[in-house]
Amino acid sequence: MIETFSLSKVYDKGVTALSGITTTINDRLTAIIGRNGAGKTTFSRIVSTQLEPTSGSAIIDGLDILRDARRIRKRIVSIPQEASPISVLTPLEQVKLYLVGRGLSIKEAHAETIRVLDAMNMRDFKNSPADTLSGGMKRKIFVCMAIASNADIVFLDEPTTGLDPVSRMEVWSSLGELSGEVILTTHYMEEAQELADRVILFEKGRIIEDGTVENLLSKFRGKVRVECPQLDDYDYRIGNRVIKYVNRKDANEYIGLGCKVKPITLDDIFLSHGVQLEY
Amino acid sequence: MFNLNIRFILLLAWYYGFRTIKRGISYVIYSLTSPLTLLLILLMVNPTFIKLAVAGGFLALVASVALSSAGDAAFLRLELKIQDLYVASTVTQYDYVAGLSLSYLIFSIPGIILYSIIGSLLSIFTLFRAFILILVMMMLIIATSSISYLISGLIKHVRNVWGIAGILSIIMTVLPPTFYPYNLLPNYALYVLMISPVTSASIIVQNAFGFVTPFYLPAIPVLIVETLVYAVMALTLTKWRER
Repeated sequence: MIETFSLSKVYDKGVTALSGITTTINDRLTAIIGRNGAGKTTFSRIVSTQLEPTSGSAIIDGLDILRDARRIRKRIVSIPQEASPISVLTPLEQVKLYLVGRGLSIKEAHAETIRVLDAMNMRDFKNSPADTLSGGMKRKIFVCMAIASNADIVFLDEPTTGLDPVSRMEVWSSLGELSGEVILTTHYMEEAQELADRVILFEKGRIIEDGTVENLLSKFRGKVRVECPQLDDYDYRIGNRVIKYVNRKDANEYIGLGCKVKPITLDDIFLSHGVQLEY
Repeated sequence: MFNLNIRFILLLAWYYGFRTIKRGISYVIYSLTSPLTLLLILLMVNPTFIKLAVAGGFLALVASVALSSAGDAAFLRLELKIQDLYVASTVTQYDYVAGLSLSYLIFSIPGIILYSIIGSLLSIFTLFRAFILILVMMMLIIATSSISYLISGLIKHVRNVWGIAGILSIIMTVLPPTFYPYNLLPNYALYVLMISPVTSASIIVQNAFGFVTPFYLPAIPVLIVETLVYAVMALTLTKWRER
């Protein structure tokens, strides 16, 4: 379980990345979503003991992130955003090295690495240097590290950024192999909708929504989003499009006006907070 | 601090050092080009110092490899995010730095073999001289790897990684008296160059090999102190967990 109390981070140049985050995370898979610069990576890095907060505190399973960092590190795995494997090393070597770093003997690490690489369908690539692998395979090496380490809490920071749809689905499917709690940081709404038991929305260093996907979307129950080039009466304008939320049964009226009808997603939760989306 | 994960250190050194040699031989050749070019120039300009330059070549090689690795360490941290991966694990800063330093020593082995062959052909070795050379090289790799890690921690952008590492390598290894007798330098220049552990290492080797006499005793404590100071600075001033 992760508990944070008024957690704040202000970087050297006076940029406030986090403003007084107080929350408790205790679900199987929690997605932290937000736009670039919303504070989600800073939150994840502080809680996973990689970065010191400016103020506030965080407790993981009863241990303080500042005082008990070494004990916490035995129980967590954190895969950094845009982490990339060392090019000359093979998946077998990368995972094995990581496990030895976590205290396993070379023999244990080797056996566990082989088991996980097999389970993740990477057997055929286990002896290929990382720079010969696809982007998806490279990311899977890190997911293998997380799975093999059997940690209580796993932090995955944007594990699918920059991947093609097939590679992304490969990584998604592999997340099911992880034991313990998973904290997934992402700016892909569909990733959160697909995978998460709970979603925390960050914007400008603050939590703006928190709950299950169903709960968050419930305020739009029975509605759809229509995106049009022009409307007199609309809810939001983004670039050269306007957005309006209408009852599903009324949606057909708008198709004739050149509008597109789309289902409600977590994007709409952001819009409801006045956050301009990046299309 | 002293609860080191020896298995991890050795495995990192083996993988990062030996695998690079095996799978990226061009890097090894590149690391040899600078000391060998200097040796060749010296041979053409003034062959009198050839034996001294071969002995100095060992030092230039290990120091150059370790100092160039500032770029490597920064690249692992900034671009590959490998350091972050290990920060949030039971690996400590000491394990990580020791593993990387040892890998640079492994990385230097082809060059050391080459210089050993040249040195043997020129009959510069005795048991005592070889012992002193190995000892000095070990201290030098600790000192220069520490400087390297310290500098790498200050590099904030990937675009600066290789430039800074290259500059550092040249200033710290080419200017000091590795390929020429240290007594050619005026005293003030020698004192200034003492900031590089390569200078005191070169003085010790030139004395021990009998290339320059009389023995310049202060070089020994200077190298020991420099090694300790740079190692402590690297481990205390470089942030493992970012602030």
